[in-house]
Amino acid sequence: MKEPGQALALEEPVALHLLVGRLGLAGHFSAVLLPIGLAVLVLLAWEFVVRWAKVPEAILPPPSAVFDQLAQHYRLILKHALPTTLETLLAFGISIPLGVLLAAMMTWSPVLNKAIYPNVVLFQLIPKIALAPLFIVWLGIGLPSRVTFSIFISFFPILVATAAGLQSLPRDMLRLCRSVGATDWQVLLSVRFPSALPFLFSGMKVAVTLAIIGIVVGEFIASQEGLGYLILFASSRQQTDLSLACILVLCAVGLMLYGAVVLCERVFKHWFGDQ
Amino acid sequence: MPGVIHCQGLRKIYGEGAAAFEAVRGVNFAVDEGEFVTLLGPSGCGKSTLLMLVGGLETLSGGSIQLGGTPVTGPRSETGIIFQDPMLLPWKSALDNVLFPIDMMRRPRAAYTARARELLQMMGLGEAIGKKPSQLSGGMRQRVSICRALIGDPNIMLMDEPFSALDAITRDELNVLMLDLWERYRKTALFVTHSIREAVLLSDRVLVMGGRPATIVEEVCIPFVRPRDFALTEAAEFNAICGHLRGRINEARRTQHATTIH
Repeated sequence: MKEPGQALALEEPVALHLLVGRLGLAGHFSAVLLPIGLAVLVLLAWEFVVRWAKVPEAILPPPSAVFDQLAQHYRLILKHALPTTLETLLAFGISIPLGVLLAAMMTWSPVLNKAIYPNVVLFQLIPKIALAPLFIVWLGIGLPSRVTFSIFISFFPILVATAAGLQSLPRDMLRLCRSVGATDWQVLLSVRFPSALPFLFSGMKVAVTLAIIGIVVGEFIASQEGLGYLILFASSRQQTDLSLACILVLCAVGLMLYGAVVLCERVFKHWFGDQ
Repeated sequence: MPGVIHCQGLRKIYGEGAAAFEAVRGVNFAVDEGEFVTLLGPSGCGKSTLLMLVGGLETLSGGSIQLGGTPVTGPRSETGIIFQDPMLLPWKSALDNVLFPIDMMRRPRAAYTARARELLQMMGLGEAIGKKPSQLSGGMRQRVSICRALIGDPNIMLMDEPFSALDAITRDELNVLMLDLWERYRKTALFVTHSIREAVLLSDRVLVMGGRPATIVEEVCIPFVRPRDFALTEAAEFNAICGHLRGRINEARRTQHATTIH
């Protein structure tokens, strides 16, 4: 016979688990605390190893130096974060209707579908970043070339996802529409488009991350402002801590934009009747 | 008579050339005004093809179909169709799904809203009028799709295995509901199923399909008076008819295998 106390001691992990569960923390514990805990551990290890091995700051500064730079130069960094964010939003905002429109055209006309789709797939295979310098040649060193390049790489996932959504109608759904005398146009607007929206959101989540990559690559190549420019500028002066601080802010901007899309998706799913 | 179905020498070939497949050949049958006729046969025997031909949703390769005396050239608004999957639009409420055909036909919605509500009430979906399909059970969704088929007051109802995807208990429940519905509306009905019991319970006449290409191999009139109820399935005569139909289906399958082996 086990004493109650003994049993608890022997099965401590179980007891802890029960305790966590009872406090309603089980979900939060695993979903939020675990990844944060791991990240903190990695940062601490980084700090410790860099200091202990006396790695030069220009090669790899400790996280504390990066946060220090962030605190010192936050005005400068935010000043450069603004154009990067706005240009990303602009490119993303244009790539959505562009992708949707092309997808609609492909769905509308089988001829266009046959003409466009293989080319789209082929285009996907091109390492598109290699084309970035050409956009500078074509459109100059200003905002238009960066935004156009960003649209160029971010509208593909929207096109492909939306086209898949528009064309995913079950055969019997199409039969139902025909049996009630719906025209192709009515089917497209009233049935295909709403059915394709969950697909569009999946495409948007990929596209928004590509849009920011497009803008930063554009800023690397030719720009006098933006986080991409600042990262390159700091690196050229061996200010690695400032570079990393900019990258941190870039991550934050990316997460914010991604989060905004996810939030829209949540609101949409509520309306759509989540299945 | 607007609800009369008349089919003569129906033939349907899918594909072309060497890949051509003849699904249906030499099918003749007629359905009277207000009669409930079932096409019974194993899965993949061409009975759904036949239903889609009658609905004008597949093109004929030969023969002719007349609804209410005029040849079928395409889908018509006076036929209501129910599929195996309810095919509800997930973002629309039950009421809006029922009104979907009205919206597509560009008829005034206001004139049909009261009828849509009445249909849903009658189907026991009064509580579900504003709910979305994801909030409804499988049986409830199929009831919504029945309301949708009835909203335009069709003369002819075409049903393609409407209860096949439901669990056995819900299926029995909807069979009873279908019997009640028929007492009330008496539409002409062409019903497709592979359930022998369902066919005998619901129909005035059962057409057994078989062979390859498929044709009608047997026609059985179901003598039970209406109104019927579920207790009928316990009756000896009921089960004798089921047994006879089962025998005919198996026979058709055997001869079909024999011809395939040739």
